[in-house]
Amino acid sequence: MLLACACGAPGSPGHADDAAPAPEPGAAEVAAEPPADVAVTVYRSPARARGSIDLNHLDGFALVTEKRRVRLPAGVSRLRFDGVADGIEAQSAIISGLPAVIIEKNRDEKVLSPAALLAATVGKSVQLIRTLGKSGMTERIPGKVLSDAGGGVLFSTADGVEALRCSGLPETFGFEPAGMPAAHASLSVLVRSPAALDVDVTLSYLSRGFDWAAAYTATLSADEREMDLGAWITLANSNGTSFAAAHTQVVAGRVAHEGAVVPVEWSGPLVALCWPRGSTSDVPPLELRIAAAASPGTRTATLMAPRMQFVTVTAQRKVTEEQLGDLKLYRVPERTTVSGRQSKQVRLLDRAAVPVTLVYRATLDRREAGGSFAARRVLRTVNDAAHHLGLPLPSGGLAVFASQHGERLLLHESGMRDLAINEAVEIELGLAPDVQVALMHDDLDASAAAAQLPPRAAPREQSERVEISNARTAPVRIELSLSDDGSEVSRADHPWSRQNGRPTFRVTVPAGKSAVILYRLRYGATARAESVVR
Amino acid sequence: MSNTRCWRVNLDHFALLGLGALSSLANAGPADRSIALTIYNGDLALVQDRRDIEVKEGRQRLEFQDVSAQIRPETVTLTAADLSIVEQNFDFDLLTPAKLMEKAVGQDVTIVRVNPATGAETSVQAQVLAANGGVVLKIGQRIEVLRDDGLPARVIFDKVPDNLRARPTLSVTVLGKHAGTRQATLSYLTPGLGWKADYVASFDEGSGKIDVQGWVTLTNSSGTSYENASTLLVAGSPDEAGGDAGQGSYRPLRHSTLETPGTEAGSRERLGDFYLYPLAERTTIADAQTKQVSFLDVHGIPAEHGYEFRNHWLAASDTAASAHSVYSFSSGAQAGLGDQLPAGVVRFYMHDKHGDPQFIGESRIDATPMGSTLSLSTGDAFDVKVKPILVKRTRLSTFDWQTDMSYELSNALPRDVVVNVVQDGLWGDTRITGTSLKSVRRSADTAQWAVPVPANGTATLTASFETRY
Repeated sequence: MLLACACGAPGSPGHADDAAPAPEPGAAEVAAEPPADVAVTVYRSPARARGSIDLNHLDGFALVTEKRRVRLPAGVSRLRFDGVADGIEAQSAIISGLPAVIIEKNRDEKVLSPAALLAATVGKSVQLIRTLGKSGMTERIPGKVLSDAGGGVLFSTADGVEALRCSGLPETFGFEPAGMPAAHASLSVLVRSPAALDVDVTLSYLSRGFDWAAAYTATLSADEREMDLGAWITLANSNGTSFAAAHTQVVAGRVAHEGAVVPVEWSGPLVALCWPRGSTSDVPPLELRIAAAASPGTRTATLMAPRMQFVTVTAQRKVTEEQLGDLKLYRVPERTTVSGRQSKQVRLLDRAAVPVTLVYRATLDRREAGGSFAARRVLRTVNDAAHHLGLPLPSGGLAVFASQHGERLLLHESGMRDLAINEAVEIELGLAPDVQVALMHDDLDASAAAAQLPPRAAPREQSERVEISNARTAPVRIELSLSDDGSEVSRADHPWSRQNGRPTFRVTVPAGKSAVILYRLRYGATARAESVVR
Repeated sequence: MSNTRCWRVNLDHFALLGLGALSSLANAGPADRSIALTIYNGDLALVQDRRDIEVKEGRQRLEFQDVSAQIRPETVTLTAADLSIVEQNFDFDLLTPAKLMEKAVGQDVTIVRVNPATGAETSVQAQVLAANGGVVLKIGQRIEVLRDDGLPARVIFDKVPDNLRARPTLSVTVLGKHAGTRQATLSYLTPGLGWKADYVASFDEGSGKIDVQGWVTLTNSSGTSYENASTLLVAGSPDEAGGDAGQGSYRPLRHSTLETPGTEAGSRERLGDFYLYPLAERTTIADAQTKQVSFLDVHGIPAEHGYEFRNHWLAASDTAASAHSVYSFSSGAQAGLGDQLPAGVVRFYMHDKHGDPQFIGESRIDATPMGSTLSLSTGDAFDVKVKPILVKRTRLSTFDWQTDMSYELSNALPRDVVVNVVQDGLWGDTRITGTSLKSVRRSADTAQWAVPVPANGTATLTASFETRY
């Protein structure tokens, strides 16, 4: 089934000739009504595999879907959609449900600012408004703006050419309200409709300035064999735009998204720079001194990192989860308002008495031999029903708490990555200074037979000695993995097995005691007999 | 928004100030103007600006103000009947207060002092001696520093020097054979205008079909608006003909999108090796605007959904990593999109349980010939993961090594899946000496296994590689 239709009307080759229709002059300006219904689906930052969001840099994005009423006259109209998110990626805008031909979609980033207003006035007439000293009287002088180049402003009046605000007198312009850009960046479509229309259309687009992550809290029981796991979904919107009573969803999984190319708006803030204004009292005279005239009130607002004003904690109703392709979609149960500059939390899950195993772990790296270092503590469990879990766990931050005399204490903070059902879960608990591992080794010794071989091919052996000391009041289980450096274990006084391909010793060290493991590593041994000895 | 700087052969404020000893004034309204834009992929456009100009007999200067603010002046050509060009200039000395004062050194200006108590004004003539760090004036026989006392003092200049402009200005000195109106074409190259394609692909999981809409997206950062322009888009960039595949830009989650390149010709117009996409109607491309025009709309194309995991040579991990979710379809005339695809971004959507479309990821594509098979990764699959394990490295002889790899695959979906495991880094004379599943050598560098993983289950793939170096 193939229903191809090339809408771009391949038409005549090359440029449309001069007789090509010019649809714009007669286009009626129509604004779509404010959205009657909004849905917001928030996606995580594709760059973050684990951990929580940074409210000052929300690198995720959202799909915003709005239902709006549109009333169009017959013929060509310019249909404008006001109140879309500031971070809209115009390329992604989709308009559906409009039974009219969409000639083009436009996004105009040029917005009204003092600098844009002045740029629009260059070469045109303005009123110069000058306030005179003591009297406070203002005079209005007709003139013309000559230039706004390089941050300085020049104008001409009947007197001659002058620079704005260099005389020391309060000076400003009164502009004529023609040719101004709009206050906000706008999204519009040019449409051609054979008849007048009164329809509901759906506008959907991707927008920057959103993000979400799960925030887990694990509470470890006193015997360190169980934990309670709870989680919130934290979602945030750094746009200035609010979405009232929106259907809200979040999507878990790493989604490829690069963001959009936005045309550069060249006009900066308006500053009235003057000629050099050094005076005789400037000591020492600076060669490159440029007096930047501070012009209060004319600078545009600087783009500060958005401050989040409210943190809303919603009621204890949990989100519902569903499969979306290869992603997980979580639906907030009720309509909620996703306000601008706001972060919001909804409950993701609560699981009690999840069985966990506390394990100490260390990696034996030959290059770090000589001193002792602290082992790391991890909690292990499995994401399945037997362990009171068995649900997709989206990535986020994780805080582990323990109870001490009825008080909750924070043990460690780390991040969680996306975990599918049945996957092994490892929760970092940080370093355990009470369990120290010391690695010592002999120098490499070449066997007599191997001494005949070239250095690269000569097998060498090395004796290693690992001492584990336990200063805790309970025995500890510790796993010691060898780092992958191309060696083989040739002999060992403790049993070992491979874990993720690496030889691993598992020992239990009694309370207040030490344990010693001795083994030998062989490097560069060849499995086949050397055929050529050079 | 209207274009505030309309075409003028000279700016009237310069005329008002009585400059233009050289320049000849000629005006023509924008109605006589016709702009043709040819926009290339890589931030480059050819502007052809045709209009009627009035020319005097003899030598004169024509100024062009409303050209692109980023014009490449060396590419300018002006053609008109009975007109010969003497020289072309691009003046970028900008008119600022500091520049004006600098150029006034040695000349007379009027200083108007304002009495702060009474507001009374007194005018004096002054000669500017220097403008280094501060302005030094000679008033009568006295030397003063401008506004050294901090009191208000206006400086009035008689005129603006010839070559200071509010905007960089292109001027052409011409020799007219005879006076009269004639049609002239100014053409030049400018960066700041570019385009790419944006595709909306809507995947239906039940039927395994996609609907694809293609939009041409052009962006204007050139600082100038182009009114009512006839526009032609060229799929390709003359700078780096052959696409941008070799560029070293960082593209996360990228994998090769083109599975098999197509060989179908299609009916699109071409220019050399570039495809042309003319816009059907004249359009105004405003400054700082993103404009989209539809060029493709096809429905019900068969598409396949699969998984791919790519492992780098000797890479191993303690934790399982997600496989990429991959969608593949054809751009051919039979059961495909039936068009050449200009480079751009394909965004995939899928309906959720409530029937609302949701975004599921995107993929960048390079310019793709018709009849190609595309395989696009939209991101990671939450439930399908692979843990590559380096089991053993054995030295066979001085220069030969055997590497035993194991790949543990897991699938938390309630259906069976097939994961394409790709091992790269097999360049040189690496051989696969043993494997639990038959492999396909996709290229000298990569081998691929199609590993079935049961619903809610796991699978293990093992392979031994023999390398020599």
